[in-house]
Amino acid sequence: MCFKNLPVEFDEQGNASLRAGVLDPYKVARNGRPDKEERIKELLRKNGHIKEVSIDPVTRVAGALAFHSVVDLENRRVEDAHSMATLFRGYEIILKGRDPRDAIFISSRACGVCGGVHANASAEAIEMAFGVAPPPMGTIVRNLGQAAEFLYDHPLHLYLLAGPDYSEAVIGATNPEILARAQTYPARGKAHHGCATIGEIMTALNPLTGSLYLQALQETRRAREMTVLVWGKYPHPQTIVPGGISATVTSQTLNEYQTRLFYFLDYAKRIIAVWDDVFDFLYDVEPRFHEVGKRPTNLIDLGCWEHHDAYDATYAHAAEWGERRWGTPGVVLDGKLVTTDLHRINAGLEEFVDHSFYDEWADKPVPFATDPVGMPLSPYHMWNKETLPKPQGRSWREKYSWATSPRWDRQVVEGGAYARMWTTAIAIDKYPSNPFIKATGKSLDMLLPAASLPEMQCSWRIPNELNAIERNRARAYAQAYTALVALNNLLAAYDHQKKGETAVSRDYEIPKGERVGVGFWGAGRGYLSHHLTMDKGALTNYQILTPSTMNASPMDPFGQAGPYEEAVMNTPIIERFAKPDDFKGIDILRTIRSFDPCMPCTTHMYAGDVTVVREVNTCACALDEEDDAVPAGALG
Amino acid sequence: MPSRPVPSAERGRALVGGVGYTNLRDGSAGPLLAERLAGRLGPDVDVEDLSYSPIDVMFLLQRRPTYARAVFVGAVSRGAPPGTIRVSRWDPEPEPADAVQARVAEAVSGVISLENLLRITGHFGALPPEVTLVEIEPENETWGEGVTPTMERAMGEVAALLRGEALDAARV
Repeated sequence: MCFKNLPVEFDEQGNASLRAGVLDPYKVARNGRPDKEERIKELLRKNGHIKEVSIDPVTRVAGALAFHSVVDLENRRVEDAHSMATLFRGYEIILKGRDPRDAIFISSRACGVCGGVHANASAEAIEMAFGVAPPPMGTIVRNLGQAAEFLYDHPLHLYLLAGPDYSEAVIGATNPEILARAQTYPARGKAHHGCATIGEIMTALNPLTGSLYLQALQETRRAREMTVLVWGKYPHPQTIVPGGISATVTSQTLNEYQTRLFYFLDYAKRIIAVWDDVFDFLYDVEPRFHEVGKRPTNLIDLGCWEHHDAYDATYAHAAEWGERRWGTPGVVLDGKLVTTDLHRINAGLEEFVDHSFYDEWADKPVPFATDPVGMPLSPYHMWNKETLPKPQGRSWREKYSWATSPRWDRQVVEGGAYARMWTTAIAIDKYPSNPFIKATGKSLDMLLPAASLPEMQCSWRIPNELNAIERNRARAYAQAYTALVALNNLLAAYDHQKKGETAVSRDYEIPKGERVGVGFWGAGRGYLSHHLTMDKGALTNYQILTPSTMNASPMDPFGQAGPYEEAVMNTPIIERFAKPDDFKGIDILRTIRSFDPCMPCTTHMYAGDVTVVREVNTCACALDEEDDAVPAGALG
Repeated sequence: MPSRPVPSAERGRALVGGVGYTNLRDGSAGPLLAERLAGRLGPDVDVEDLSYSPIDVMFLLQRRPTYARAVFVGAVSRGAPPGTIRVSRWDPEPEPADAVQARVAEAVSGVISLENLLRITGHFGALPPEVTLVEIEPENETWGEGVTPTMERAMGEVAALLRGEALDAARV
């Protein structure tokens, strides 16, 4: 049985229907745990060692995220936690009524770091609605661009955003006893990264000055060059179109891509060695790191990178082409794979707004009671959702975030590059045949070919637990995995060129009738879906669900905390501090950053009459107001 | 007031960069000015829309022969009357490393900001020796195309300033 909580059952042929005899099948039995707020207030009033810790903004994340927690500094545990997306992104509203093709370019502006993933998700949603699929070479080239974008994204997370949490500068300030051990602790991967001790690695991770940090900063350029070769422009690609890609791809394009890719194959070898060394050391010297950021292994991923022989853009065949992707879709609950079927994954999705700054919409008639293959859909499903922003004051008991609470089968699931690797590794018989990546059920075994460095066999083993370290470690292996997906697609591109099959796009017509579409995709940091409905050639609804919406979600109507909140509440306080004022909250921050938060882009936001933009506060210390500040007209 | 103009050929190549978000009405003044002035400030002046990650602007500056001067233009809200133009020499005190790192994190995750651009490129030594900042106070930064008449007038004055003074605004 796929669903435990939703009222959907399957017959022997696998056809789904609503469970018989249920009067109000998608009724929400609300359980807001109202007693908790009172208990926390009482704890704060009675105990001087229990403090409210508000981190606003959480730095080193993309966009606007704030985090409120109540920490028992004496017993070193977190009593309560609230994740807050502090700004609203109204792409759903901006896109309504537009030509569907605009969505590719407008939705890619949702993010300044990974706009390509939105463009791809949007293109697939449109292709489903239009009834057009790219030719094989179009799919392959899209994959090349997508892999390159991830090759930019993974080192960014590992060295520029989360990495500094494990640097000499941070560890020395929060846990000097660990840094002291690191100075003499031998690093096993010296042959790959050149550092003799963990202390040397931690120095190399120092922000702005460390060699690993500076190298990663430079590598962002190389990865961007790869994306631009096939996408024309980055971070907002210009060549992704319905039915394929509008770039001219020649042998020279592929050769230039290959040159850079082989550099990244070597870089991946070094990345794995660095992070295995750091994380194995931390487990060894401080076993409580196993508990930092820990939560149940409940994961979701939609897969990524279509197989060029399988993808036909139809919803009817989504279960088949989804399972042939280079990243296998799936839902994992309590460490067990529940499904890899995109129809079932889609039907299990709901989005709640009980603790979010939106109005309820599900009390209206449901536009789509089923999906196009007859699978029942919840009124809370994205095809039935209406975005109704309602700014108001913050209340932990009521509403406190602009993020919604997406759930699968009414359970809290998280997305991440690690979720993609997990579902891919565990779905043993799904992976396309290839010479470099093998899913074993327990691991992803990878062969990194020789470039400047010798060939390297490596294996990402499904960990026994899901915590901050394992999220980050999987991200390190994701660089190798991504580079090998790129290599598989590059070889396929050469093969198609050799056969003369070089077409990268197909013509299409914009349908005038009512259509639905969904882009099942993934960002560098995990799950991404774009659901659309259209009629008379224009969008009637557009819903984007990002990995950080999943992960940063506030409490749901069933009283279940979101992934950040749950992970932080499970986190022990390892940090050392002499007095409460010295407390930096590094364990909380490590937990949150391990998810690689990418809050919705804070630039082009629409909220009815209220538009919120990022505050600009350019330093004016060099200004001489009297001489140089001149009202318009005064210069003439 | 600006000092006596010095022929640009004696002063080396210059860069004029517009910075801002597109489709954000007055907030788009920087990129719009770059578009209007491109190729119109003489052979020794490169005019560019630098409305992208400051890290990539840093790579651009590192890749090119060193500019003698640069002028960065954008809309910045400081609570002054809309359309107010502020011209200043960019020569601030260095920031602590933590603050620069926070800016790098914003830059690599997509934030476009005049201040981040100047701070980050400055920290990594990529700025020309002489840098001028031109800020215009915006009136309306809501989502959409086009700027307000106030901003249009101010942009015209900034364009005239940059054309007429051959970048001697850098010498205020």
